[in-house]
Amino acid sequence: MNGVQYIQERLWAGNLGNAFVVLSFVGALLSFFAYYLSSKNLSFLKLARLAFNIHGFAVIGIIGTMFWMLLNHYFEYQYVYQHSNTSMDMKYILSCFWEGQEGSFLLWTFWNIALGTILKRQLKPGEWEIPVMTVFALVQVFLASMLLGVYVFDYKIGSNPFLLLRDHADFSNLPFLRKEGMVPATLDGKGLNPLLMNYWMTIHPPTLFLGFSSTLIPFAFAIGALWNKKYNEWQKIALPWTYFCILILGIGILMGGAWAYEALSFGGFWAWDPVENSSLVPWLIVVGAGHTMIINKNKGGSLFTTHFLAIGGFLLVLYSTFLTRSGVLGNASVHAFTDLGMTGQLVLYVLTFIFITVMLLINDKLFRVSYIMVSLLILFFGILYGYKRALLMLWLGGSGIVTFISYYKYFPKEKDEEDLYSREFWMFLGSLVFLLSGLIITYFTSIPVINKLFNTEFAPPKVAVYNSWMMPFAILIMILIGASQFLKYKKTDPKKFFKRISYSFLLSILFGLACSIPLYFLTKTEAKGIGTWDLVGFSALLVSGLFAVFANLDYYLMVLKGKVSKSGAAIAHIGFAMVLIGALISTSKKVTLAKNMADKKLEALGKDFDDKESVLLTQGDTVAMGPYLIVYKEKRREGIDIFYTVDYLKLDKNKKPEFEFTLVPIVKNNPRMGQSSAEPATKHYLSRDIYSHITFANMSIDTDTSSKKKNAFGEAKNYVGHVGDTIFASNALVIIDSLRSNLTKSQYEKNDSLLEVTAVLKCKTTDEKIFFAYPKFIIKKNVVIPQEDVVDELGLKLVFWKINPDDGTIEITMSEKLSNNKDFIVMKAFVFPYINVLWLGCLIMAFGTGIAVIERIRKFKLQS
Amino acid sequence: MKKLHIVGIVVIAIAIGVIFVSLKNTSTYADFTQAISNPEKEYHVVGKLDKNQPQIYDPKINADQFIFTLIDNKGISKQVVLHKSKPQDFEKSEQIVLIGKMDGNEFHANDILMKCPSKYNDGKAQAQLN
Repeated sequence: MNGVQYIQERLWAGNLGNAFVVLSFVGALLSFFAYYLSSKNLSFLKLARLAFNIHGFAVIGIIGTMFWMLLNHYFEYQYVYQHSNTSMDMKYILSCFWEGQEGSFLLWTFWNIALGTILKRQLKPGEWEIPVMTVFALVQVFLASMLLGVYVFDYKIGSNPFLLLRDHADFSNLPFLRKEGMVPATLDGKGLNPLLMNYWMTIHPPTLFLGFSSTLIPFAFAIGALWNKKYNEWQKIALPWTYFCILILGIGILMGGAWAYEALSFGGFWAWDPVENSSLVPWLIVVGAGHTMIINKNKGGSLFTTHFLAIGGFLLVLYSTFLTRSGVLGNASVHAFTDLGMTGQLVLYVLTFIFITVMLLINDKLFRVSYIMVSLLILFFGILYGYKRALLMLWLGGSGIVTFISYYKYFPKEKDEEDLYSREFWMFLGSLVFLLSGLIITYFTSIPVINKLFNTEFAPPKVAVYNSWMMPFAILIMILIGASQFLKYKKTDPKKFFKRISYSFLLSILFGLACSIPLYFLTKTEAKGIGTWDLVGFSALLVSGLFAVFANLDYYLMVLKGKVSKSGAAIAHIGFAMVLIGALISTSKKVTLAKNMADKKLEALGKDFDDKESVLLTQGDTVAMGPYLIVYKEKRREGIDIFYTVDYLKLDKNKKPEFEFTLVPIVKNNPRMGQSSAEPATKHYLSRDIYSHITFANMSIDTDTSSKKKNAFGEAKNYVGHVGDTIFASNALVIIDSLRSNLTKSQYEKNDSLLEVTAVLKCKTTDEKIFFAYPKFIIKKNVVIPQEDVVDELGLKLVFWKINPDDGTIEITMSEKLSNNKDFIVMKAFVFPYINVLWLGCLIMAFGTGIAVIERIRKFKLQS
Repeated sequence: MKKLHIVGIVVIAIAIGVIFVSLKNTSTYADFTQAISNPEKEYHVVGKLDKNQPQIYDPKINADQFIFTLIDNKGISKQVVLHKSKPQDFEKSEQIVLIGKMDGNEFHANDILMKCPSKYNDGKAQAQLN
């Protein structure tokens, strides 16, 4: 910064903000060192806590300053200029705040502080506060550094939200900034991305980030446990927090799905998009951790897996931060993520925490020191001489081997084996299934990273690939969820178990087959590339999903006697099974409405037509689509949105069309994306959703509505034909029905005074209405005087002007009103059957998990 | 050997299996030359719209067919039949990824990803599948 103040600039805000940024970083750093030192000398504890509070205060200061700047439109600042403007609705101010990377990092930082502050009070100072808060403070150091925006040896660390517009590389060349020392008073910002102007987008990010933040809690405890070699006792304390994380992260992910379903034209609620995957995977891993922690609490053991999963959850959050924010997905994804030049920093953070974990696992001083030395050596070699990719893989491989050795040499292991008929064995298996599915999703999502590392050219997999890979895991998990409820810890009598479980099992087979046979084997499933094995898979998932529901319902009603406070797990499991069943049915039995309409013409158009999904709607015309008759009524513009009104009608008993509902899909002419985007419109019924979005439309709106232009006729076209031939108008078929003459041929030959031939033209519209036109061909004293006829309803002008006696043809010219050249849209419409099972399942799962969290907190309080 | 060790080995075996199976079947980024030499395989072809060639989209005949010409990154241009409706703002695209196979002298794509120039995109999902 050059210290010059431009006119109209309010530099105080930036100075204040930057002071907070520095204070936040220094506070976190101080807190980290003080907490670390207090592990050796308790007198540092006071300083550590104070420093953490100062850091928290500074972060709130940063956020406050940013909100002040946003609310008061300080457009001289890059962040405000880029993410808000004066015309936007102030209810989206929160979205403006976290639209940019800096804001979303702040959100994350903020939640970490909130959770850290609660933990700091909850934990006993001498024991877990120190290791846990050391980890918290270290994470905060990294997050605070993301906002620094300072250069160290030409390498930029962080991206500062208080940068002035004129100091930003992308904007400093804006013409008004190049004029000497002046920020125009009329300067307005770029505004918020319209995609984010959606109510889901005001609640989804804070929920998701609270979920991300809470993965830090089991991580911090697990690291603390490795550090202090106390592997068991933290799990009791962390258990409610882990389920809190499962709850919040789960809700956050599902809200993202709901937003995608409502605002994006993915054609569904889940697209296995890198962004979605990178929030789902940590959830899967933390769910695994939560379950191994329960095993540990009830029976002991599964220590390594618990630590592995608890640490893995957070590491995967860091990894997904790297994936989605470094620009590495760049070419592979439709998602254009801006690279803020923090790739190196993000990689370094991920590697640092892997390094810390591995280092703490080593229980031998010499071994540990040599691991640290070798790691540092590799780091410096990489910085000085390059070969970064090879060195990175070498280090990762080496760290993997070190982890393996440390596990065998140092980690406490159980002596006795789990019984086959014990809950812990199968629950543990379930956690492994979650881990494995998480790893597979991570692997698929990481294909762009693999391409970078190995110079390969693999393309990211399609949705179908994910679906078919995840299917067996889903089936397995459903069976485990159902069966393990009736197993006791340690040992169960197999006879009793099988007897108990057989009710749910038989019921689910019965119900499942009764549903799946008609669904998948008696009716056609239209999704592309579905083979018999897929259908078997669908049926198996349906049966196993129902099994999970019935078994947990049985357990809830008969064993727990319907006592809600004890039944968090059973309820959550029912909800989870419903989510999968709902997803299965709504996706596999998704009906493309446009296709049904085409079925009639299918043969005529050849096999290619089978793939068709879009339907053309001309304004005002009625088109049959599935069970509906649909009419594209009109379009109107509001700001950047163009609304296309489409009415849906159904034939009633008397075969009369009756209005059902209206859907208004939108095309957003989104200047922020350089491309317009379609926003779907959905009609919700209890048993199904009718979902539609525009795939192609004319976005310009004809403002010239003067009747003069509309009523003018276009160019006349000549048609030659016989009686019975058809002329194609844009809105009707014109059939030459017959010709009538006032005279017979002999009469005309006798008396050539007046001949009048009338063409009877039958005009049939697409909705089967019929109009007649009677243009006349008149010969009076050998002069031809054609008399035109106009069909007002259709805007057709017909002139019968020639008879060719040689071949018996007649010639007619037709011209259409200019207004006949109607606007059209190309649209897709789907039916998602039983999608409400999915949403209801979400609610039930959230409710059950919530109860589990409360119950765990209550139990924990009773114990301590 | 413990049961859980067996489970662990199975888990690792599945993980390695996934890597090999998926890499074998995964489509790769390619240019037209590769797609021509292997017409059975699905490829992701990256390129730019050839603005000098005609684009044919007549939804009255087929709303799910759009014909245009793409110049791949090696400069080879081929006619493309996209079996989808014409993407909105197609002309604005600066980079196109087509997913499909070569058929004769035409590339038949069943999906398209477009990148449009957007100076002010950041952070959050900027999705437009179509």
